[in-house]
Amino acid sequence: MKPEIKILKKIESKEFVLVSGLPGIAYIGKLSVDYLIQQLKAELVGEFYSKYFPPYVLVRKDGLVELLRNELHLHRDKAAGDIVFFSGNSQAFSPEGQYEIADTLLDWAVKKGVKKVCSLAAYVTERNFEKPNVYGTATTPEALEELKKKGVVPLDQGIISGENGLIMGLAKKRDVEAVCLLGETRGYQTPTGQYIIDAKATKAVLNLLTSILNLKVNMEPLEKQAMEMDDIIAKMAEVEQRIKEEISGRAKKPSYVT
Amino acid sequence: MGADIWMKQLRKPDLKQPVAVVGSPGLRSIGDLVVNQLIGKIGAELIAEIYSTHLPIVYQTKPSYAAHYMLPGIGGAEVRNGEVDLPKVEFYACSAPSLIIVKGYHANFAGQYDVADEVVDFLSESGVKRIIVAAGYGSKTRKVCCAATDPDLIREMKEKFEIEVEYVGPFYGFSGLVFGLAKRKSIDALCLFAGTEPNLDNPEFPDPKSSELILEVLNQMLVFQK
Repeated sequence: MKPEIKILKKIESKEFVLVSGLPGIAYIGKLSVDYLIQQLKAELVGEFYSKYFPPYVLVRKDGLVELLRNELHLHRDKAAGDIVFFSGNSQAFSPEGQYEIADTLLDWAVKKGVKKVCSLAAYVTERNFEKPNVYGTATTPEALEELKKKGVVPLDQGIISGENGLIMGLAKKRDVEAVCLLGETRGYQTPTGQYIIDAKATKAVLNLLTSILNLKVNMEPLEKQAMEMDDIIAKMAEVEQRIKEEISGRAKKPSYVT
Repeated sequence: MGADIWMKQLRKPDLKQPVAVVGSPGLRSIGDLVVNQLIGKIGAELIAEIYSTHLPIVYQTKPSYAAHYMLPGIGGAEVRNGEVDLPKVEFYACSAPSLIIVKGYHANFAGQYDVADEVVDFLSESGVKRIIVAAGYGSKTRKVCCAATDPDLIREMKEKFEIEVEYVGPFYGFSGLVFGLAKRKSIDALCLFAGTEPNLDNPEFPDPKSSELILEVLNQMLVFQK
Protein backbone atom coordinates (compact mmCIF):
# COMPACT_ATOMS: atom_id res chain seq x y z
CA MET A 1 0.00 0.00 0.00
CA LYS A 2 1.77 3.11 -1.23
CA PRO A 3 1.35 6.39 0.66
CA GLU A 4 -1.43 8.32 -0.95
CA ILE A 5 -2.52 11.92 -0.83
CA LYS A 6 -6.12 11.82 -1.95
CA ILE A 7 -6.89 15.32 -3.21
CA LEU A 8 -10.57 16.07 -2.68
CA LYS A 9 -10.43 19.56 -4.12
CA LYS A 10 -7.82 21.05 -6.43
CA ILE A 11 -5.74 23.74 -4.78
CA GLU A 12 -5.54 26.62 -7.23
CA SER A 13 -2.84 28.48 -5.38
CA LYS A 14 0.27 30.22 -6.70
CA GLU A 15 2.03 30.00 -3.37
CA PHE A 16 1.09 28.99 0.14
CA VAL A 17 2.42 28.47 3.64
CA LEU A 18 2.27 24.91 4.98
CA VAL A 19 1.48 24.72 8.71
CA SER A 20 2.00 21.28 10.18
CA GLY A 21 1.04 19.98 13.61
CA LEU A 22 0.61 16.28 14.29
CA PRO A 23 -0.28 14.50 17.54
CA GLY A 24 2.74 14.39 19.82
CA ILE A 25 3.82 15.52 23.28
CA ALA A 26 0.99 17.41 25.05
CA TYR A 27 -0.80 17.58 21.67
CA ILE A 28 0.54 21.11 21.15
CA GLY A 29 1.08 20.78 17.40
CA LYS A 30 -2.21 19.03 16.76
CA LEU A 31 -4.31 21.27 19.01
CA SER A 32 -2.76 24.41 17.44
CA VAL A 33 -3.56 23.33 13.90
CA ASP A 34 -6.98 21.88 14.76
CA TYR A 35 -7.86 25.13 16.54
CA LEU A 36 -6.91 27.23 13.53
CA ILE A 37 -8.82 24.92 11.15
CA GLN A 38 -11.90 25.27 13.34
CA GLN A 39 -11.70 29.01 13.93
CA LEU A 40 -10.88 29.87 10.32
CA LYS A 41 -13.31 27.29 8.94
CA ALA A 42 -10.56 25.99 6.69
CA GLU A 43 -11.75 23.63 3.97
CA LEU A 44 -10.79 19.94 3.82
CA VAL A 45 -8.96 19.55 0.50
CA GLY A 46 -6.98 16.34 0.92
CA GLU A 47 -6.58 13.13 2.89
CA PHE A 48 -3.35 11.25 3.50
CA TYR A 49 -3.30 7.49 4.10
CA SER A 50 -0.31 5.36 5.01
CA LYS A 51 0.40 1.77 5.98
CA TYR A 52 2.71 3.05 8.69
CA PHE A 53 -0.10 4.40 10.83
CA PRO A 54 -0.95 2.27 13.86
CA PRO A 55 -2.95 -0.81 12.81
CA TYR A 56 -6.42 0.08 13.97
CA VAL A 57 -9.47 2.01 12.81
CA LEU A 58 -11.70 4.29 14.85
CA VAL A 59 -15.39 3.67 15.48
CA ARG A 60 -17.02 7.06 16.00
CA LYS A 61 -19.97 7.99 18.22
CA ASP A 62 -22.29 7.93 15.22
CA GLY A 63 -21.17 4.36 14.46
CA LEU A 64 -19.16 5.23 11.37
CA VAL A 65 -15.73 3.72 10.88
CA GLU A 66 -12.68 5.83 10.05
CA LEU A 67 -9.18 4.85 8.96
CA LEU A 68 -6.38 6.71 10.68
CA ARG A 69 -5.31 9.52 8.40
CA ASN A 70 -3.72 12.91 8.05
CA GLU A 71 -5.62 15.76 6.47
CA LEU A 72 -4.93 18.88 4.43
CA HIS A 73 -7.13 21.94 4.99
CA LEU A 74 -6.97 25.15 2.95
CA HIS A 75 -7.60 28.66 4.23
CA ARG A 76 -7.52 31.67 1.92
CA ASP A 77 -6.79 34.87 3.82
CA LYS A 78 -6.66 38.40 2.44
CA ALA A 79 -3.83 39.49 4.73
CA ALA A 80 -1.94 36.23 5.27
CA GLY A 81 -2.40 34.66 1.83
CA ASP A 82 -3.09 30.96 1.29
CA ILE A 83 -2.37 28.56 4.13
CA VAL A 84 -2.50 24.76 3.97
CA PHE A 85 -2.85 23.04 7.34
CA PHE A 86 -1.53 19.52 7.83
CA SER A 87 -2.80 17.51 10.80
CA GLY A 88 -4.66 14.32 11.59
CA ASN A 89 -5.57 11.67 14.13
CA SER A 90 -2.22 9.90 14.03
CA GLN A 91 1.38 9.98 13.01
CA ALA A 92 3.43 7.06 11.76
CA PHE A 93 5.02 4.82 14.41
CA SER A 94 8.28 3.83 12.80
CA PRO A 95 11.10 6.04 11.44
CA GLU A 96 10.52 4.52 7.96
CA GLY A 97 6.89 5.59 8.06
CA GLN A 98 7.67 9.03 9.47
CA TYR A 99 10.20 9.63 6.66
CA GLU A 100 7.78 8.35 4.04
CA ILE A 101 4.95 10.64 5.14
CA ALA A 102 7.07 13.76 5.62
CA ASP A 103 8.78 13.14 2.28
CA THR A 104 5.54 12.54 0.37
CA LEU A 105 3.99 15.64 1.93
CA LEU A 106 6.94 17.85 1.01
CA ASP A 107 7.10 16.44 -2.54
CA TRP A 108 3.47 17.41 -2.97
CA ALA A 109 3.92 20.81 -1.28
CA VAL A 110 6.94 21.76 -3.42
CA LYS A 111 5.07 20.78 -6.59
CA LYS A 112 2.10 22.92 -5.54
CA GLY A 113 4.13 26.04 -4.68
CA VAL A 114 4.92 26.01 -0.98
CA LYS A 115 6.89 29.14 0.02
CA LYS A 116 7.36 28.41 3.72
CA VAL A 117 6.81 25.59 6.18
CA CYS A 118 5.82 26.15 9.82
CA SER A 119 6.08 23.09 12.03
CA LEU A 120 4.50 23.17 15.48
CA ALA A 121 5.72 20.96 18.30
CA ALA A 122 6.47 20.71 22.03
CA TYR A 123 9.51 21.47 24.17
CA VAL A 124 9.49 19.47 27.41
CA THR A 125 11.02 21.23 30.38
CA GLU A 126 11.37 20.52 34.09
CA ARG A 127 11.45 24.16 35.16
CA ASN A 128 8.45 25.71 36.88
CA PHE A 129 7.08 28.63 34.93
CA GLU A 130 4.21 31.10 34.98
CA LYS A 131 4.19 31.68 31.27
CA PRO A 132 5.52 29.07 28.85
CA ASN A 133 8.32 30.08 26.52
CA VAL A 134 8.10 29.38 22.83
CA TYR A 135 11.36 27.97 21.53
CA GLY A 136 12.18 28.00 17.87
CA THR A 137 14.49 26.92 15.13
CA ALA A 138 14.71 27.71 11.42
CA THR A 139 16.39 26.48 8.27
CA THR A 140 18.00 29.87 7.53
CA PRO A 141 19.69 32.51 9.76
CA GLU A 142 17.31 35.16 8.32
CA ALA A 143 14.23 33.17 9.30
CA LEU A 144 15.66 32.60 12.78
CA GLU A 145 16.27 36.36 13.16
CA GLU A 146 12.63 36.98 12.29
CA LEU A 147 11.57 34.50 14.98
CA LYS A 148 13.80 36.17 17.57
CA LYS A 149 12.25 39.56 16.81
CA LYS A 150 8.84 38.09 17.61
CA GLY A 151 10.03 36.84 21.01
CA VAL A 152 10.89 33.25 20.17
CA VAL A 153 13.72 31.75 22.26
CA PRO A 154 16.20 30.20 19.80
CA LEU A 155 16.77 26.51 20.43
CA ASP A 156 20.51 25.91 20.79
CA GLN A 157 20.43 22.15 21.03
CA GLY A 158 17.87 19.40 21.39
CA ILE A 159 15.83 17.01 19.31
CA ILE A 160 12.45 17.42 17.63
CA SER A 161 11.17 13.89 17.44
CA GLY A 162 8.66 12.50 14.98
CA GLU A 163 7.23 13.97 11.82
CA ASN A 164 7.13 17.50 13.26
CA GLY A 165 10.93 17.35 13.33
CA LEU A 166 11.43 15.41 10.11
CA ILE A 167 9.42 17.98 8.16
CA MET A 168 12.01 20.55 9.26
CA GLY A 169 15.00 18.40 8.35
CA LEU A 170 13.62 17.34 4.98
CA ALA A 171 12.52 20.91 4.13
CA LYS A 172 16.10 22.04 4.69
CA LYS A 173 17.36 19.32 2.33
CA ARG A 174 15.01 20.71 -0.31
CA ASP A 175 16.01 24.36 0.34
CA VAL A 176 12.49 25.18 1.46
CA GLU A 177 12.41 27.83 4.19
CA ALA A 178 11.01 26.29 7.36
CA VAL A 179 10.54 27.36 10.96
CA CYS A 180 9.58 25.31 13.97
CA LEU A 181 7.81 26.69 17.02
CA LEU A 182 8.03 24.56 20.15
CA GLY A 183 5.68 25.32 23.04
CA GLU A 184 7.19 24.85 26.47
CA THR A 185 5.36 22.19 28.46
CA ARG A 186 5.84 19.91 31.46
CA GLY A 187 4.50 17.12 29.24
CA TYR A 188 2.24 15.66 31.90
CA GLN A 189 0.85 12.21 31.24
CA THR A 190 -2.08 10.25 32.66
CA PRO A 191 -1.33 7.03 34.60
CA THR A 192 -1.91 5.09 31.33
CA GLY A 193 0.73 7.15 29.52
CA GLN A 194 -1.58 9.44 27.55
CA TYR A 195 -0.38 13.02 27.22
CA ILE A 196 -2.56 15.68 28.78
CA ILE A 197 -3.46 18.38 26.27
CA ASP A 198 -1.54 21.56 27.08
CA ALA A 199 -3.80 24.41 26.00
CA LYS A 200 -1.57 26.99 27.69
CA ALA A 201 1.48 26.10 25.64
CA THR A 202 -0.74 25.87 22.56
CA LYS A 203 -1.98 29.39 23.16
CA ALA A 204 1.60 30.67 23.46
CA VAL A 205 2.53 28.97 20.16
CA LEU A 206 -0.56 30.29 18.40
CA ASN A 207 -0.02 33.86 19.60
CA LEU A 208 3.37 33.80 17.90
CA LEU A 209 2.31 31.90 14.81
CA THR A 210 -0.63 34.22 14.08
CA SER A 211 1.70 37.19 14.50
CA ILE A 212 4.28 35.65 12.12
CA LEU A 213 1.65 34.82 9.53
CA ASN A 214 -0.32 38.07 10.00
CA LEU A 215 -3.41 36.05 10.78
CA LYS A 216 -6.39 37.26 12.83
CA VAL A 217 -7.96 34.55 14.97
CA ASN A 218 -10.39 34.66 17.88
CA MET A 219 -8.38 33.26 20.80
CA GLU A 220 -11.14 33.47 23.45
CA PRO A 221 -12.20 29.77 23.45
CA LEU A 222 -8.58 28.69 23.75
CA GLU A 223 -7.93 31.20 26.54
CA LYS A 224 -10.73 29.58 28.55
CA GLN A 225 -9.22 26.16 27.98
CA ALA A 226 -5.79 27.52 28.96
CA MET A 227 -7.17 28.83 32.26
CA GLU A 228 -8.60 25.39 33.02
CA MET A 229 -5.14 24.06 32.21
CA ASP A 230 -3.73 26.13 35.08
CA ASP A 231 -5.84 24.09 37.52
CA ILE A 232 -4.76 20.79 35.95
CA ILE A 233 -1.10 21.82 36.03
CA ALA A 234 -1.39 22.85 39.69
CA LYS A 235 -2.90 19.45 40.55
CA MET A 236 -0.31 17.52 38.55
CA ALA A 237 2.52 19.52 40.14
CA GLU A 238 1.09 18.70 43.57
CA VAL A 239 0.99 14.97 42.75
CA GLU A 240 4.54 15.16 41.38
CA GLN A 241 5.76 16.88 44.53
CA ARG A 242 4.08 14.28 46.74
CA ILE A 243 5.69 11.42 44.78
CA LYS A 244 9.11 13.12 45.04
CA GLU A 245 8.66 13.51 48.81
CA GLU A 246 7.58 9.89 49.17
CA ILE A 247 10.58 8.68 47.18
CA SER A 248 13.05 10.79 49.17
CA GLY A 249 11.30 9.75 52.44
CA ARG A 250 11.62 6.11 51.46
CA ALA A 251 15.31 6.57 50.66
CA LYS A 252 16.01 7.89 54.14
CA LYS A 253 14.40 4.87 55.84
CA PRO A 254 16.61 1.88 56.55
CA SER A 255 16.32 -0.71 53.83
CA TYR A 256 16.36 -3.65 56.26
CA VAL A 257 15.27 -4.38 59.83
CA THR A 258 17.05 -6.48 62.42
CA MET B 1 8.61 -16.24 -4.12
CA GLY B 2 9.43 -12.63 -4.93
CA ALA B 3 6.58 -10.63 -3.47
CA ASP B 4 5.94 -10.35 0.25
CA ILE B 5 2.25 -11.19 -0.23
CA TRP B 6 1.01 -13.84 -2.64
CA MET B 7 -2.36 -15.34 -3.44
CA LYS B 8 -3.24 -18.90 -4.34
CA GLN B 9 -6.63 -19.15 -6.01
CA LEU B 10 -7.96 -22.72 -5.92
CA ARG B 11 -11.23 -22.24 -7.81
CA LYS B 12 -13.41 -19.49 -9.22
CA PRO B 13 -16.97 -20.11 -8.13
CA ASP B 14 -19.80 -18.40 -10.04
CA LEU B 15 -21.30 -16.26 -7.29
CA LYS B 16 -24.01 -13.66 -7.81
CA GLN B 17 -23.33 -10.46 -5.84
CA PRO B 18 -21.87 -12.33 -2.88
CA VAL B 19 -21.85 -10.90 0.64
CA ALA B 20 -18.58 -11.34 2.50
CA VAL B 21 -18.36 -12.31 6.18
CA VAL B 22 -15.01 -11.53 7.79
CA GLY B 23 -13.62 -12.69 11.13
CA SER B 24 -10.22 -13.13 12.74
CA PRO B 25 -8.81 -14.15 16.13
CA GLY B 26 -9.33 -11.01 18.19
CA LEU B 27 -10.95 -10.17 21.50
CA ARG B 28 -12.21 -13.48 22.96
CA SER B 29 -11.81 -14.92 19.40
CA ILE B 30 -15.39 -13.89 18.57
CA GLY B 31 -14.69 -13.23 14.87
CA ASP B 32 -12.77 -16.48 14.45
CA LEU B 33 -15.52 -18.51 16.14
CA VAL B 34 -18.17 -16.92 13.93
CA VAL B 35 -16.41 -17.69 10.64
CA ASN B 36 -15.42 -21.23 11.73
CA GLN B 37 -18.98 -22.06 12.72
CA LEU B 38 -20.39 -20.48 9.59
CA ILE B 39 -18.00 -22.42 7.32
CA GLY B 40 -18.99 -25.68 9.03
CA LYS B 41 -22.69 -24.89 9.09
CA ILE B 42 -23.10 -24.10 5.41
CA GLY B 43 -20.36 -26.43 4.15
CA ALA B 44 -18.47 -23.63 2.42
CA GLU B 45 -15.58 -24.58 0.10
CA LEU B 46 -12.05 -23.23 0.28
CA ILE B 47 -11.53 -21.08 -2.84
CA ALA B 48 -8.41 -19.00 -2.17
CA GLU B 49 -5.55 -18.37 0.25
CA ILE B 50 -3.27 -15.40 0.93
CA TYR B 51 0.24 -16.06 2.19
CA SER B 52 2.66 -13.39 3.33
CA THR B 53 6.09 -12.92 4.83
CA HIS B 54 4.28 -10.64 7.29
CA LEU B 55 2.25 -13.47 8.86
CA PRO B 56 4.11 -14.72 11.94
CA ILE B 57 3.53 -18.15 13.43
CA VAL B 58 4.58 -16.84 16.84
CA TYR B 59 3.57 -13.34 17.95
CA GLN B 60 5.75 -11.29 20.25
CA THR B 61 2.79 -9.13 21.25
CA LYS B 62 -0.09 -10.10 23.46
CA PRO B 63 -2.80 -9.98 22.21
CA SER B 64 -1.63 -10.99 18.73
CA TYR B 65 -3.36 -8.03 17.07
CA ALA B 66 -1.51 -5.39 19.12
CA ALA B 67 1.14 -5.15 16.39
CA HIS B 68 4.28 -3.17 17.16
CA TYR B 69 6.94 -2.19 14.66
CA MET B 70 9.76 -3.41 16.91
CA LEU B 71 8.11 -6.79 17.54
CA PRO B 72 7.63 -8.48 14.14
CA GLY B 73 7.00 -11.96 15.54
CA ILE B 74 8.63 -15.22 14.36
CA GLY B 75 7.98 -16.89 11.02
CA GLY B 76 7.30 -20.59 10.75
CA ALA B 77 4.90 -23.33 9.76
CA GLU B 78 1.99 -25.03 11.45
CA VAL B 79 1.22 -28.75 11.50
CA ARG B 80 -2.48 -29.48 11.56
CA ASN B 81 -3.91 -33.03 11.37
CA GLY B 82 -0.47 -34.26 10.40
CA GLU B 83 -0.17 -31.78 7.52
CA VAL B 84 2.23 -28.90 7.41
CA ASP B 85 1.25 -25.47 6.07
CA LEU B 86 2.14 -21.82 6.38
CA PRO B 87 0.03 -19.24 8.22
CA LYS B 88 -2.55 -17.81 5.82
CA VAL B 89 -5.78 -15.93 5.24
CA GLU B 90 -8.45 -18.27 3.86
CA PHE B 91 -11.44 -17.55 1.63
CA TYR B 92 -14.40 -19.95 1.57
CA ALA B 93 -17.45 -19.72 -0.71
CA CYS B 94 -21.04 -20.88 -0.79
CA SER B 95 -23.62 -20.26 -3.51
CA ALA B 96 -26.88 -20.25 -1.48
CA PRO B 97 -26.81 -17.80 0.14
CA SER B 98 -24.18 -16.27 -2.10
CA LEU B 99 -21.33 -15.84 0.35
CA ILE B 100 -17.57 -15.48 0.69
CA ILE B 101 -16.25 -16.14 4.17
CA VAL B 102 -12.87 -14.73 5.11
CA LYS B 103 -10.93 -16.47 7.87
CA GLY B 104 -8.48 -13.74 8.78
CA TYR B 105 -4.99 -13.82 10.26
CA HIS B 106 -3.22 -10.94 11.97
CA ALA B 107 -0.11 -9.76 10.13
CA ASN B 108 2.72 -8.00 11.92
CA PHE B 109 3.12 -4.19 11.91
CA ALA B 110 4.94 -4.13 8.56
CA GLY B 111 2.18 -6.01 6.76
CA GLN B 112 -1.12 -5.27 8.51
CA TYR B 113 -2.35 -2.67 6.03
CA ASP B 114 -0.96 -4.48 2.97
CA VAL B 115 -2.56 -7.84 3.82
CA ALA B 116 -5.93 -6.21 4.58
CA ASP B 117 -5.63 -4.21 1.34
CA GLU B 118 -5.09 -7.42 -0.65
CA VAL B 119 -8.14 -9.01 1.02
CA VAL B 120 -10.40 -6.07 0.18
CA ASP B 121 -9.13 -6.03 -3.42
CA PHE B 122 -9.85 -9.75 -3.80
CA LEU B 123 -13.37 -9.31 -2.41
CA SER B 124 -13.98 -6.38 -4.73
CA GLU B 125 -12.74 -8.37 -7.76
CA SER B 126 -15.06 -11.21 -6.71
CA GLY B 127 -18.07 -8.89 -7.02
CA VAL B 128 -18.65 -8.36 -3.30
CA LYS B 129 -20.83 -5.32 -2.69
CA ARG B 130 -21.25 -5.72 1.05
CA ILE B 131 -18.86 -6.87 3.78
CA ILE B 132 -20.05 -7.97 7.23
CA VAL B 133 -17.30 -8.04 9.87
CA ALA B 134 -17.75 -10.08 13.07
CA ALA B 135 -15.84 -9.06 16.19
CA GLY B 136 -16.05 -8.62 19.94
CA TYR B 137 -16.01 -5.58 22.22
CA GLY B 138 -15.34 -5.43 25.93
CA SER B 139 -18.62 -5.29 27.85
CA LYS B 140 -20.31 -6.90 30.83
CA THR B 141 -23.48 -7.28 28.75
CA ARG B 142 -23.82 -9.92 26.07
CA LYS B 143 -25.48 -8.04 23.23
CA VAL B 144 -24.77 -7.19 19.61
CA CYS B 145 -24.14 -3.63 18.47
CA CYS B 146 -22.96 -2.35 15.12
CA ALA B 147 -20.78 0.11 13.20
CA ALA B 148 -20.71 0.81 9.47
CA THR B 149 -19.13 2.66 6.58
CA ASP B 150 -22.34 4.55 5.79
CA PRO B 151 -25.21 6.07 7.86
CA ASP B 152 -27.79 4.24 5.67
CA LEU B 153 -26.39 0.90 6.82
CA ILE B 154 -26.69 1.97 10.46
CA ARG B 155 -30.32 2.94 9.86
CA GLU B 156 -30.94 -0.39 8.13
CA MET B 157 -29.51 -2.35 11.07
CA LYS B 158 -31.74 -0.47 13.49
CA GLU B 159 -34.92 -0.74 11.43
CA LYS B 160 -34.60 -4.35 10.29
CA PHE B 161 -32.76 -6.00 13.18
CA GLU B 162 -33.06 -3.54 16.11
CA ILE B 163 -29.28 -3.40 16.36
CA GLU B 164 -27.86 -0.09 17.43
CA VAL B 165 -24.56 1.72 17.69
CA GLU B 166 -22.91 1.33 21.07
CA TYR B 167 -19.19 0.61 20.89
CA VAL B 168 -17.01 3.69 20.34
CA GLY B 169 -13.22 3.47 20.13
CA PRO B 170 -10.38 1.73 18.33
CA PHE B 171 -10.85 -1.52 16.42
CA TYR B 172 -7.50 -3.31 16.12
CA GLY B 173 -6.02 -5.80 13.73
CA PHE B 174 -6.95 -7.64 10.55
CA SER B 175 -10.74 -7.22 10.74
CA GLY B 176 -10.58 -3.55 11.76
CA LEU B 177 -8.32 -2.71 8.83
CA VAL B 178 -10.45 -4.68 6.33
CA PHE B 179 -13.42 -2.68 7.63
CA GLY B 180 -11.61 0.69 7.28
CA LEU B 181 -10.08 -0.09 3.89
CA ALA B 182 -13.49 -1.18 2.57
CA LYS B 183 -14.71 2.33 3.33
CA ARG B 184 -11.73 3.86 1.55
CA LYS B 185 -12.47 1.70 -1.51
CA SER B 186 -16.19 2.63 -1.38
CA ILE B 187 -17.46 -0.87 -0.54
CA ASP B 188 -20.37 -1.02 1.91
CA ALA B 189 -19.29 -2.65 5.14
CA LEU B 190 -20.80 -3.11 8.55
CA CYS B 191 -19.48 -4.64 11.70
CA LEU B 192 -21.37 -6.71 14.24
CA PHE B 193 -19.72 -6.41 17.64
CA ALA B 194 -20.74 -8.90 20.33
CA GLY B 195 -20.30 -7.81 23.93
CA THR B 196 -17.87 -10.07 25.78
CA GLU B 197 -16.01 -9.80 29.06
CA PRO B 198 -12.29 -9.26 28.41
CA ASN B 199 -9.96 -11.93 29.78
CA LEU B 200 -6.77 -10.12 30.78
CA ASP B 201 -4.63 -13.28 31.15
CA ASN B 202 -5.70 -14.66 27.80
CA PRO B 203 -7.35 -11.94 25.67
CA GLU B 204 -8.16 -14.35 22.84
CA PHE B 205 -9.72 -17.05 25.05
CA PRO B 206 -12.85 -18.09 23.10
CA ASP B 207 -16.30 -16.93 24.15
CA PRO B 208 -18.74 -19.10 22.15
CA LYS B 209 -21.80 -17.65 23.92
CA SER B 210 -21.12 -14.18 22.52
CA SER B 211 -20.17 -15.44 19.06
CA GLU B 212 -23.50 -17.31 18.96
CA LEU B 213 -25.30 -13.95 19.24
CA ILE B 214 -23.63 -12.76 16.04
CA LEU B 215 -24.48 -16.03 14.28
CA GLU B 216 -28.14 -15.51 15.16
CA VAL B 217 -28.08 -12.02 13.60
CA LEU B 218 -26.20 -13.31 10.55
CA ASN B 219 -28.80 -16.01 10.15
CA GLN B 220 -31.51 -13.37 9.87
CA MET B 221 -29.43 -11.12 7.64
CA LEU B 222 -28.38 -13.83 5.21
CA VAL B 223 -31.96 -15.06 4.90
CA PHE B 224 -32.73 -11.53 3.75
CA GLN B 225 -30.15 -11.95 0.99
CA LYS B 226 -31.83 -15.06 -0.48
